[in-house]
Amino acid sequence: MKSYRIPLFAIVAGAVAIVSACGGSSNASSDATTLLSTTNLFLANLGTTSGLTSTTASDLFDAKYLDMGIKKVDVLAALSTNAEALPANGDLSLFPAAQYMNATFTNCDSNAVCTMMATVINSDVDVTSVDITTKVKIVSGVLYLYGDQSTTSSI
Amino acid sequence: MKKQFTLNRIAMAVSSLIGLMSVVAVQSAHAADKASTKAAGNYVTGDFHNHTTCSDGSISMKKLIDKSAKTFNLDWFVQADHGGSSARNCTLAEDPFEPVPAGLGLANSPTGPYPPATYPTAGQPAVTKKGPNQTWESTLPGGRADIKGDGTATPKAMWRWQEIKEFQYKVAEDESRARQKPIWIGVEQNAPGHEHVSTTVLKGQLPWPQAGVAGNATLQAQFEYCFDNSDTDTSRGAENQFDCSVAGSANNGRLDAAARKITGTNAAATPNLGHLKTVEGIKWMNEKAPTTSYFIPAHLERAGPYDPVRNRGFNIEHLRNFNNAASNVAFGFESMPGHQASATRGEYSPARGNPPVDSVGVGTYGGSGIYAAKIGGVWDALLGEGRNWWFFASSDFHNRGQFGPDQRESSQDFFPGEYQKDYVMVRKGANNLSAEGIIDGLRSGNSFATSGDLIDRLAFVACTVNPALPRAASKALIEKAAANALTKNAEVRINGCATMGEKLVVAPGADVIVAVAVRDPQGTNNAPYAFANPSLKQIGMTQPLNAPVLDHVDLIAGNVTGYVSPADTAKYAGLEGSPAAVNTSATVKRVFNSTNWTASAGGVRVMSMLMPALKASQYFRLRGTNLPASVPFETDANGNPLNDYEVSPFDQTLPGKVPCADAACPAHLRTANGTKYSSYDVAAWSDLWFYSNPIYVQVTNSFKVAGAK
Repeated sequence: MKSYRIPLFAIVAGAVAIVSACGGSSNASSDATTLLSTTNLFLANLGTTSGLTSTTASDLFDAKYLDMGIKKVDVLAALSTNAEALPANGDLSLFPAAQYMNATFTNCDSNAVCTMMATVINSDVDVTSVDITTKVKIVSGVLYLYGDQSTTSSI
Repeated sequence: MKKQFTLNRIAMAVSSLIGLMSVVAVQSAHAADKASTKAAGNYVTGDFHNHTTCSDGSISMKKLIDKSAKTFNLDWFVQADHGGSSARNCTLAEDPFEPVPAGLGLANSPTGPYPPATYPTAGQPAVTKKGPNQTWESTLPGGRADIKGDGTATPKAMWRWQEIKEFQYKVAEDESRARQKPIWIGVEQNAPGHEHVSTTVLKGQLPWPQAGVAGNATLQAQFEYCFDNSDTDTSRGAENQFDCSVAGSANNGRLDAAARKITGTNAAATPNLGHLKTVEGIKWMNEKAPTTSYFIPAHLERAGPYDPVRNRGFNIEHLRNFNNAASNVAFGFESMPGHQASATRGEYSPARGNPPVDSVGVGTYGGSGIYAAKIGGVWDALLGEGRNWWFFASSDFHNRGQFGPDQRESSQDFFPGEYQKDYVMVRKGANNLSAEGIIDGLRSGNSFATSGDLIDRLAFVACTVNPALPRAASKALIEKAAANALTKNAEVRINGCATMGEKLVVAPGADVIVAVAVRDPQGTNNAPYAFANPSLKQIGMTQPLNAPVLDHVDLIAGNVTGYVSPADTAKYAGLEGSPAAVNTSATVKRVFNSTNWTASAGGVRVMSMLMPALKASQYFRLRGTNLPASVPFETDANGNPLNDYEVSPFDQTLPGKVPCADAACPAHLRTANGTKYSSYDVAAWSDLWFYSNPIYVQVTNSFKVAGAK
C-alpha cells in the first residue's frame, strides 16, 4: 500500500511545492505535485469557455468516477452546458473557485485508488477553507479524481 | 511504474499558470463575478417608523431617540411621524426626574436593568400641558404668529412641513452627531387613496458622520406638503413656495393653481385620484432624490382592501404600480407591522374604519400581515415576477397603552429595537456607517427582519455547485463560508454565490446549493417576563418567555415567471387570494431543525440543501420561529402561522385562547372567569418569527429575474 504526502501547495500564491513522498519512486513527489497542480489549474480555469471545454476535464476524471451519484459523464455534461451558456449570457454565474492544498494520499489499494485528504480553499475575497476527504486514483504518477463512490444523491 | 517529469513540463505548467492567472484577472470583470465588487460590510439594525408628540405619539423626539439608539442600541434610526399637522411641540423633552411608575418601571441608576442615564438630560414630564405635550402656540417665541400656513384652530396646529423643516430636523441632526449614529427625519405619509407609507427623502439632511455646516430637511418637508393626504395646507409652504410638479408628468395639469399640488383624492367624484397622486409622489422622489429616497407601505393589510372612492388599503396592483413607477424608490413593504403589543396584534381586526371593513386576513399571522405570512400569497406573487420587493418590519411606536414610557410592560407598542429589528447589510468598507449606505442597503434587499431577537445574525447564500469538486467538498465549503460570514456579521463573498436581494444566473440543469447560518442569541431578550412561554406550555414545553429558542427554519421556494403586464388585468389586479395575488408554485422545500442542522457554540446553526438540476428560474427565502408546528392557536400542521386574532380576540369581553397560568403572568392580561389569557405583550413575546429576503436564481433559458442584479 502506497501513500504520498504533499504538505503544502499554494498554487495561487505561486509558492513552490515542497513535497515529500513515501513509497514511490524518486520522482513520485514531483509527479504528485504536478498532477495536483494540473487539477488546480483546471479548477481555476472554469470561468472560461476554453477551461470548461478543455480536454483536461476528461483526463482528470477516472472512468469510474462516482461522487454522490454524479458520474464522470454528468460532470462533463455540466461543464459543457455551462460552456454553451457562457457566450450568450454575460452575467452567467461562475462556479465557485477552489484549490486543493495540503493534500495527503493514504490507503492506496491494489487498484491504485487512494484516500486523498486535502484542504479546499476559496480566496475570491474572504478566504474560506475546509478539510475534505475523497478518493483519487494514481496511475503512473497521474492523478485521476475518483469520487467517494457513493450513489447517495442528497447532501 | 514511474512517470518521468521533465523540466520542460514544469516550465509549461508554470507558463500555463501565469497565463491562467491572466485569464482569472480578466474574469474578475465578468458580470457574475461579483465578490470582488462587494466592499466589506455588516448587518446593522434600525427602525424607520415611529411617532412622537409631533403627531399622535406620546413622547418627545429626544426620549424616542434615546430609547431607540441607546436603550435598545439600534445602529440607525429614522424618526418618522405622520404627515398632516399637530399642535404639540415634540422638540421639548421630558423631565428626567419624573417618578417612574410602580411595577416593572426602569430605574434610572447606574445599576439599573437598562443602561444608566436612560432619560434625556432636560425637560418636563410628558403629561398634559407639560414637556412635549405643550403646544407650539404656547412655546414658540412669537406664539401663534410663528405657525405658518393655513389653519384657524386654537391652539393652532403646525403643518408637518414646518415642524420638519424648522424644528425637528435640527433635533435629529444634533442627536445624530452627538450619539455618532445615523439618525434622520422621515415621514409616515398618509398616502392619498391608501393608508400609510414609511418614507424618507434624505437629500439635504446631514446626519452623522457628516459634520460641519448643518443640513436641512427641505425636500422631506416639501414631499410632505405635496403628497400627504392629511396636509391640506395650500400656502405652498409659506415663503418656501413649494411646487409639486413632476418633470414631464402628464398629471401636472391636475395641480391646483394656487396650492401647486393635487388637492383631491379618492372620492365618489374622483375615483383613484388619490392613488394617482401617491404614484406621482414616487415619481417626484425619483426625480429629486433617486438614490436617497424610499417609499415603503406600512401595515398595509390593516385598513382592509383598497377602495377607489376612499383612502384605505393596498391591493397587489398598487404595489406593482409603485414598483413600476420607480423600483429604486418603491422596493418593499412593512408587512410585519408595529403595534405588536396591542390588544389586537398590529391593530389588525375585523370591522375597522367607517364604513367598517375587516383588515385583509382579519388579523396578523405570527405578527406579520397575510400579504407576507401566507406562503403563495401576495409577497410570493410579487417575488414570482422577479421583482425587487423586500420585507421589512418597524415598531410604529406611539405609546405603551396603560403603561408609562419607562415601564417594561406594554399593552400597545414596543419601542424601536425593543421587539422588532430590521437588519440591513451596509457595505461601508473602512468608512463610517452612513445614512446613504443604509438606504442603499434597504434598497438592495440584503436584509432580514426579526421579532423578539429570535435570531441576531444570518448568513444566507445560494451558490452554483462546482461540478468538478466532490459534492461533500462543495457543501462543506459553502457551509463554512456561511459560518465564517456569520462570525463576522457579514455576507458570503464568493464568485458564483448570491445572497439576499441578488441573483445567480445558471445554465439549465445546474445544481445549486443553498446554505444558511443563523445565530440564536444566548441569554435573554428584552421581554420582562421569565415565566414559561404560555403558547409552548400548551404542548408541554417549558421555555422562559424572555429566552426564546429557534425551533426551526423553513426554506421556501417559488418559481419566477416574469413581470405581469398592467394590461393583463386578471393577473395584475385583484384582492388577496385572487389569481393576481398568488404564486401557486411557492412551497416549503425543507424544514431545518435540530435533526438536520449543525449546532455549535453560541447558538450558531448551520444548514444547507442541494437543489439539483434547476430547470426554471426561482427564488429562495427563509422564515423561522420559536414555535414548532401544531401549536394550538399559533401554528398549523405545516408550521404556518395562524391568525393572531384567534389568540387575542377583537371583542374585549371574550376570553383569549391560550391560558397564561403561571403565577407571574402579569395583571394586565385579558382575564375571564379568573383565568388569564395570553394577550398584549405576552402574546407577542410568545410568538416570534424572522423573515429573510429572497435570493433569486435565474436559469438562462427560463424567465429573466429583472428586479435583481
